[in-house]
Amino acid sequence: MEILNIRNLSKNYGTVQALKQVSFSVPAGTVFGILGPNGSGKTTLLGIVMDVLKPTSGTYEIFGQSPTADQRKQIGTLLETPNFYHYLNAVENLKISAAIKGRGVDDIDRVLEVVDLAKRKNSKFSTYSLGMKQRLAIGAALLGNPDVLVFDEPTNGLDPVGIAEIRELIKKLSKEGKTIIMASHLLDEVEKVCTHVAILKQGTLITYGDVNEILINEDVVETSAADLEQLYQLLQRMPGKLSINRKDQVVQVNFSSGTADLAAVNRFCFDAGITITHLQLKKKSLETKFLELTH
Amino acid sequence: MQTASYMQKLLQIEWLKLKNHRPFIIIASFFTLGVFTINYVVYILNNTINKVQGAALIKSSNPYDFYYTWQTTSYWTGWLLLLPSLLIIILVTNEFTYRTNRQNIIDGWSRSQFIEVKMMLALIVAVCSTLLVVLSATLFGLLSGSSFSTHGISHVFFFFLKALSYNVIAVFISVWIRLTGFAIGSFFIYIGAENFISILLNNNLSLKLRNDYNIDLGSLGDYLPMNASDGLLTFPDNPLKTIAKSALPTDYTWLVACFAVAYLVLFFWLSKRNYLKKDL
Repeated sequence: MEILNIRNLSKNYGTVQALKQVSFSVPAGTVFGILGPNGSGKTTLLGIVMDVLKPTSGTYEIFGQSPTADQRKQIGTLLETPNFYHYLNAVENLKISAAIKGRGVDDIDRVLEVVDLAKRKNSKFSTYSLGMKQRLAIGAALLGNPDVLVFDEPTNGLDPVGIAEIRELIKKLSKEGKTIIMASHLLDEVEKVCTHVAILKQGTLITYGDVNEILINEDVVETSAADLEQLYQLLQRMPGKLSINRKDQVVQVNFSSGTADLAAVNRFCFDAGITITHLQLKKKSLETKFLELTH
Repeated sequence: MQTASYMQKLLQIEWLKLKNHRPFIIIASFFTLGVFTINYVVYILNNTINKVQGAALIKSSNPYDFYYTWQTTSYWTGWLLLLPSLLIIILVTNEFTYRTNRQNIIDGWSRSQFIEVKMMLALIVAVCSTLLVVLSATLFGLLSGSSFSTHGISHVFFFFLKALSYNVIAVFISVWIRLTGFAIGSFFIYIGAENFISILLNNNLSLKLRNDYNIDLGSLGDYLPMNASDGLLTFPDNPLKTIAKSALPTDYTWLVACFAVAYLVLFFWLSKRNYLKKDL
């Protein structure tokens, strides 16, 4: 079953196209990362799904049906920034969220414990630090233990310990079978907690799918020879390679992480009558992969 | 029955937002105190004037006697209606400033529910203001020594219409402008501009039509949105006013009331349309 199905969603802000014909679907039970640099359209996309923004064109379905307000009550959402009544304390704010969601107030103490705000539950929201505000917003999303959670940059404003706690929480929720849609510009965050990913760049969907297929770590074998063109043509036929590209005076051959064999590459070239003048194994970082995808 | 329970749920949530909101408590207290204070001041002044020699013309009626008290209290309290309107503007624009309106929608309210509950708030504030007028009118009516009578209580309905019009226009401006300072500024500019146009219409067009062409359409300025409800509340008749009125266009009170109701519907529709269509 698909939790969210987006079809050709576009959004213009005046002359700026924030989203361009974006389509993808989120399967149930996944931790689905929406990854992209700042301004790539992640929050706009989630804002449309949550009905706080109106799409210029395109449609979307939640739980396989046209979107309604009642469906949003079944989803715990943190969108962009924590939005609470600044003159109310944590409990009073969560009472409002719970009442709108149609849930009882008996879950408030539990979620405040989960996000470590129980000791400050009677302090006004305006007195909270950015990290505390963020944690309260995550707590509000957890109210009623919903099966689907939407987190937009959930670790914003958190200290390293807080970031680790929230990542663990997301993993724990995932193990409980919940579907989590998480927007982030942090590659390692997505790589550490997500099972699926969609990559956005300037409003365009670059790719989406299983995180292990899209953000896979690769081995890069850098080679060179007197006749670079001949080497490039030969390595096109190299067994086991993922991709190949020419860069300055070298040819780079990409293999899945841990599968590159320099001796095999050397032998393959030697057997074809090409003497390699340079042969080096490099690890491609996730950042490089991300930059390749988004630039 | 189902609608009542639905609205009750929405209002209970609104109450959770309001009950600890300091500006709400302060403005509501000031307004409540103001209703009784302004009428007490007028009541005392009137008693003082009545004792002064030469005020015999006005003395022929005590404005706080039943049945004048309904009109007098409504008229003077009408001057204080800016306070609840400002409160409405603060409450609605704060939702935009702190983006809590977005959170309400994200949590599961529909956009219609959000705007409907704000309109219900405008209605409830108008009802509470009207109840204060009823209390105040009854109190000063009894203090003046006359016997209780509901005759002339229609003026309280006109007060309610004026209060509701002010509040609904406040919601309308808040939804369109969204920023507290600009919304309050726009509200005052709108009041000033409409009064200015109203004076121009009444002093030029209405009198010209009546005197030169024998066409009496009433005071045309009274058909403008805020003046429609303002025009319904007038100071009680006295001999001086009766003399002045004979030179003015006719008061088509119920026609003006119909205009006021029509404007209410229009502003509600425009507010809702804006909120349903725009990004939040």
